[in-house]
Amino acid sequence: MSALSDPRGYWADLTTPERGVVAAITAFAVLLVLGLLTGALAPAYFLYLVGLAGMYALLSFGLNSQWGFTGLINFSVAAFFGLGAYGTALMSASSSPIAGQFLPIFGLVAALVLAAILAVAIGIPTLRLRADYLAIASLGLAEVVRLIVLNEREVTNGSAGVRGIPTFFEGWPVLETLPQQLPGIFLQPLPGTRLVFEEPFWSALLNVVVVVTFVAGSYAILRRAHRSPWGRVLRTIRGDEDLARALGKHTYRYKMQSFVLGSIIMALAGVFYAHLNLYVSPSDLDPVTTFYVWVAVILGGSGSNRGALFGGIVIVTIREGTRFLNSFEWIPVDVAPLRILLIGVLIVVLMRYRPQGILPPQRELIWPSVVDEAPDQPTSGVREARTGGKDD
Amino acid sequence: MTDADTTAVGDRETTETSAVRSAADGGRDLVLEVDGLRKSFGALTATDDATFSVERGTITGLIGPNGAGKSTLFNLVSGFYMPDAGSVRVNGVDVTGKEPYEVADYGLIRTFQTPRKLEGMTVREAMLVGPRNQPGESFRNLFLNPSAVEERERANLEQAERILEEFEIDHLATQPATKISGGQMKLVELARAMLAEPELLLLDEPAAGVNPTLRNKLAEQIRRLNEQGTTFLLIEHDMDFVMKLADPVIVLDQGSVLMEGTPKQVQTDDRVIDAYLGGSP
Repeated sequence: MSALSDPRGYWADLTTPERGVVAAITAFAVLLVLGLLTGALAPAYFLYLVGLAGMYALLSFGLNSQWGFTGLINFSVAAFFGLGAYGTALMSASSSPIAGQFLPIFGLVAALVLAAILAVAIGIPTLRLRADYLAIASLGLAEVVRLIVLNEREVTNGSAGVRGIPTFFEGWPVLETLPQQLPGIFLQPLPGTRLVFEEPFWSALLNVVVVVTFVAGSYAILRRAHRSPWGRVLRTIRGDEDLARALGKHTYRYKMQSFVLGSIIMALAGVFYAHLNLYVSPSDLDPVTTFYVWVAVILGGSGSNRGALFGGIVIVTIREGTRFLNSFEWIPVDVAPLRILLIGVLIVVLMRYRPQGILPPQRELIWPSVVDEAPDQPTSGVREARTGGKDD
Repeated sequence: MTDADTTAVGDRETTETSAVRSAADGGRDLVLEVDGLRKSFGALTATDDATFSVERGTITGLIGPNGAGKSTLFNLVSGFYMPDAGSVRVNGVDVTGKEPYEVADYGLIRTFQTPRKLEGMTVREAMLVGPRNQPGESFRNLFLNPSAVEERERANLEQAERILEEFEIDHLATQPATKISGGQMKLVELARAMLAEPELLLLDEPAAGVNPTLRNKLAEQIRRLNEQGTTFLLIEHDMDFVMKLADPVIVLDQGSVLMEGTPKQVQTDDRVIDAYLGGSP
């Protein structure tokens, strides 16, 4: 049922929180359009924010496929993100102390392989044990990776970071020089505002194309993987690993697959970041990133891919949106430094009133083409109830 | 119905092949052989030289007072615990010290004493975890061979719904698995275990916490599945339930087998009465 062909039926099939989210997204979109039209939000900066949102969405996808699907507690999101960023930076940047000057596409491959190797290395000793051990090990891993990046100067440039990273499309035909070749456009949608679309805008637009491709690709893979027998085994492991074992599932292998998959997606976010920012430094491996991504996944609803997408966007909105609040002079306090507090309050409120997150997974983990044709379908009430919503 | 037929055929085949092997064993066709199994937790010896066997086609009961080591024995047999000594053979294959998923591959499936809830799943979804070796459980197949995944998934869903029908709980199929009663959950667990097509099903207290009506239904189902070819080994505290259903009955006391016999023999045996009343052996 599509929102365009049958809007009324689409609306009727939604659960209450889904309606809330649709309304909120619509309102937010209207606000953004107003901001763009009045010139309060520069188009190039807006696209940069879209890129950040996509990056957080990727990180949330990665953590969701570990924690949300399988219940693996990974506190080293920032490490895998940093590994992705440094992997591609060291391969492609002009100031790279080891390789350098390779095409970014090789950097992408190197970064993902590096992340997969590290995930396997940390998974082998911990995934056979109880969930807590991975949590502890990953907490240590994040710090170890950060300190190695900071101190191994001959390899990583240390605290100076890596400069001179090319854009993602370096070396591609047409796309490499597209931003310079596109004409500058000036628009005046409302009296008194003047919108400028020049080279920075076009290159930001290309970045958005990259991140949207990454996000869409990851989403397509994760959605298929989640609503499948594979995803069902992961869900069973999360609920009760012994049950999965008793039914003959090789749980260690599933946990490893889920962990590696998530880590690769996190590294993908890092690759995008390196080519967005064109500079990486050890501060990008700050543990606060891990914290933000956890908030995004829990807020969106653990186990739900669209929840992770939503959560990632909300986090970027809070992080960047609070900067704008300072421009309103009638707010007596400096708002920006309060945003961590704001996120904390948000989490407390959420845990109290909706512990399963805003958009928890609602569809059954059964191959879609099989179950969607079945005569009996759970109603939206059942879908809401099975997430534990009306329980307490 | 067709499916019950095919499983029956499959069982007949395995019965025939193993009949050759077990001819040396005095004509008894053993699906499970436990020999001298021992397990200690620190100073406590939970299983002490337990030796018994389960004959194909039976419903074998395993009883004993609290702390006799019944659940430990189940954990040892199904691969959840590693035994300190002794051996476990399933269908003549030594599975001692193997992982639960490997033991399951030889046709041994177990359930748990307390029903394992799967929050966030509907009943039919939880049922579908049962079938073993689904093509869709391989990540690669999801992308490289989706048609095989879809085909098996459709067959599994149909079979799950048919089994729920046979258990007379098909109206629960799309209900959240956490919202059904404890007794219904026991039925779902049994139904799900059947989807794994076990040759030997280990049931840990299937009747515990189930009301009398549902308990009769459960006994009826176990008997029906047994007639269709599944061998059962069940732990049960409800004497009435186990004596009506099981034959033979194995009595466990302080980690080792006290006796084995028909329900009648067990009920009239002095040693069994002593063990239950706490008399010293």
